[in-house]
Amino acid sequence: MVAGSIAIEEISKELIQSRDLGVTEEGERLIELQIGPTHPGSGHMRIRVWVDGDIIVRCDPDIGFVFRTIEKLSENRIYMKTIPLVERPSLLDTTPMTIGYVNAIEKLMGIEPPPRAKYLRTILAEITRIASHLYGIGILAIFLGHSTGFMWGFGDRELFVELANQLSGARITYAYVIPGGVRRDMPQSFPDNVEKALRYMERRLKDWYKIFLNNPVIEDRLREVGILRKNDAVKLGITGPNLRASGVDFDVRVADPYEAYDELEFMVPVAEEGDAYARTLVRFEEIKQSINIIRDALRKMPSGDIIHPQIARMFNPLMKKIYEETRRVKFPGIFASLKPPKGEATARVEAGRGEALFHIVSDGSPRPYRFRWTTPSYRNVILFKYLIPGHRLADLPAIYGSLDYFPPEADR
Amino acid sequence: MLPLIMLLKEILGYNDTIYRTVVGLGYMIVYPGLLLVVVIAALMLWAERKIAALVQLRYGPLWVSRRIGGALQGFADLIRFSFQEVIIPRRSDVIPFLLSPGLAILFSMLPIAFIPISPSIHPPVYSDLALLVVIAIISLAPIFIVIMGWASDNKFAFVGSLREALLIVSYEIPLIISIISMAVIYGSLDFYEIVERQYMLPGMILNPFAFIASFIAVLRTTSRFPFEISEAETEVVAGPYTEYSGLMFGLSMGLAYIKLYVYTLILSLVFLGGWLPLQGGEGFLLGFLAPSLVVILKLSILSLVAVFLRAIYGRYRLDQAIRLGWIYVFGLSIVSLIWSLALVYGGWVRWG
Repeated sequence: MVAGSIAIEEISKELIQSRDLGVTEEGERLIELQIGPTHPGSGHMRIRVWVDGDIIVRCDPDIGFVFRTIEKLSENRIYMKTIPLVERPSLLDTTPMTIGYVNAIEKLMGIEPPPRAKYLRTILAEITRIASHLYGIGILAIFLGHSTGFMWGFGDRELFVELANQLSGARITYAYVIPGGVRRDMPQSFPDNVEKALRYMERRLKDWYKIFLNNPVIEDRLREVGILRKNDAVKLGITGPNLRASGVDFDVRVADPYEAYDELEFMVPVAEEGDAYARTLVRFEEIKQSINIIRDALRKMPSGDIIHPQIARMFNPLMKKIYEETRRVKFPGIFASLKPPKGEATARVEAGRGEALFHIVSDGSPRPYRFRWTTPSYRNVILFKYLIPGHRLADLPAIYGSLDYFPPEADR
Repeated sequence: MLPLIMLLKEILGYNDTIYRTVVGLGYMIVYPGLLLVVVIAALMLWAERKIAALVQLRYGPLWVSRRIGGALQGFADLIRFSFQEVIIPRRSDVIPFLLSPGLAILFSMLPIAFIPISPSIHPPVYSDLALLVVIAIISLAPIFIVIMGWASDNKFAFVGSLREALLIVSYEIPLIISIISMAVIYGSLDFYEIVERQYMLPGMILNPFAFIASFIAVLRTTSRFPFEISEAETEVVAGPYTEYSGLMFGLSMGLAYIKLYVYTLILSLVFLGGWLPLQGGEGFLLGFLAPSLVVILKLSILSLVAVFLRAIYGRYRLDQAIRLGWIYVFGLSIVSLIWSLALVYGGWVRWG
């Protein structure tokens, strides 16, 4: 028994007592339901739930069904080949993850990308943030039986996937960010297309508010459900929109700015209630703020190189020709044997679902000695255990959806 | 069909029993019975998906019969379900498991035998207490849904059937009270008299409270949104129908639509004036077909409103739905009963 677990037990007692269950875990009143891993509403996980009538008295999330050993795999690969690997788990929220990984490598190497590359990274990260939030809202909608929200979420997400496609050449796994810069410059028509998409999304958000957020049935389902108080959120180490919906004003983009975020103007939406409705609302507000960030970044976009001059020096003549004609970076030989100096580096990013932390230990060889990666979903999964008891069975999908929990991202 | 009947009447020397048997079989099997129910149910399924697709900015079903917008999709699904293997779980209670979907459908469709659809041809069983009989019979159908969930030996099916049972109790009572309040206004339980007495005002204007209460109760009884609680996919996999497959699943899926057909048929006769404004004339066409088409048009409009709600609402939680049922819908039905009594005893409504 370590001190940390005692504290967590106290928290759980406090959380359960605060709901006044009035039931005990004794006798044969309880039915154990195994929701998952092939249940339509569970995703890639198993949730063991003990119900007393309709009230859940205990909930035990069972994670690890999509564990793909990415940290271990990366120890046997060169640094570059881990970039596509890192963006697989959080399939909807890829660019922030690659930014974090590449930032850690850049800190090891002691280089910094040129400003234009920083802005391009920021724009793509915000595009994926909007896409990720729309996906999460769509999943929440279908969990509540609201099929229109599901279809709209995925339909509107298509726009931003298409924008990312224009910028990087892929729909969801871009591998756009490389140490020292980015792979491509943006095409000529990109700013106009972005502006069109953002205007469309702003129009759509009004419809979204009408049909989803102000829908009486959805409000009844989400308000006063899964209330996470401020101090509990801090104690349990929750991140991202779920933390900000509980009234904690913390965002890595502001607290520890990376890329171009310190030069851009945006607000961090914070809600006080901490219930499922507030978490959904914060996500909608973040979409609005991301729209502002993208506009601001396109306005302030500096001209210049998109790859660090140290790396550009190593281009052979053909690569140079291609780079000057089409503004696409062909990888010089340095990337195949990238050997950062000995040492350790840590990078934090604010991904769509919260704070992701990357820690790389280098021993001077072309492969990382140790790579540690903590994803936001991995830190948020503990909420299943503490938020769900005391609610009804039908609230489980509502809370699950409002947390925007994505099992593959937690399992890595 | 009618020349055949006339021929039979000629041959059989106006043998009334055989004539009534033939007409009754046609009534129950062809129109407005089994065949029409299957057609309307399949079309409603298609309409539901198509309307939802319209709201959700997509095409909806289009693969089967592309030229008419995929309208045959429901029939294609029905054929596919019919030829699939029926898997019986080893631990299930086999006889109830296999019989309950059929029985539920039987009791959902049996009321058609009492419901007239036109002024000239009577239903097979003519009764002056038809409204009461119809409500009594159709109230038996949900029992078999509960039996389905119990016989499946599956926790999710069990939870789903418990939800179904709770919701039946909450919403059948307002439905019965609001329909009986209409019988109080009309002073009759006979469908013919009910329809005749709406020649000036349809029932939904005479007593709007009863119409709203009974429509909400019908939404719940046929598992439409926002009350699709017993089959909530993300909570209890498919509710009572979790373990069913093949034809059984097709039956249990069609059950809600068959119920929707019968309930909207009752509502269109009681609240929307049935075959009015047509009074019914001579012959097969004017006396039977045209009035019945008017009734089917009215019930289709009601059904389309019911299936359209899928595109707007999510689903309520169980306790919220029960609270809504016992406080608001039940209260509304009591108000409708008081309203009817006030109309009758206040002398506003008189049937000479």
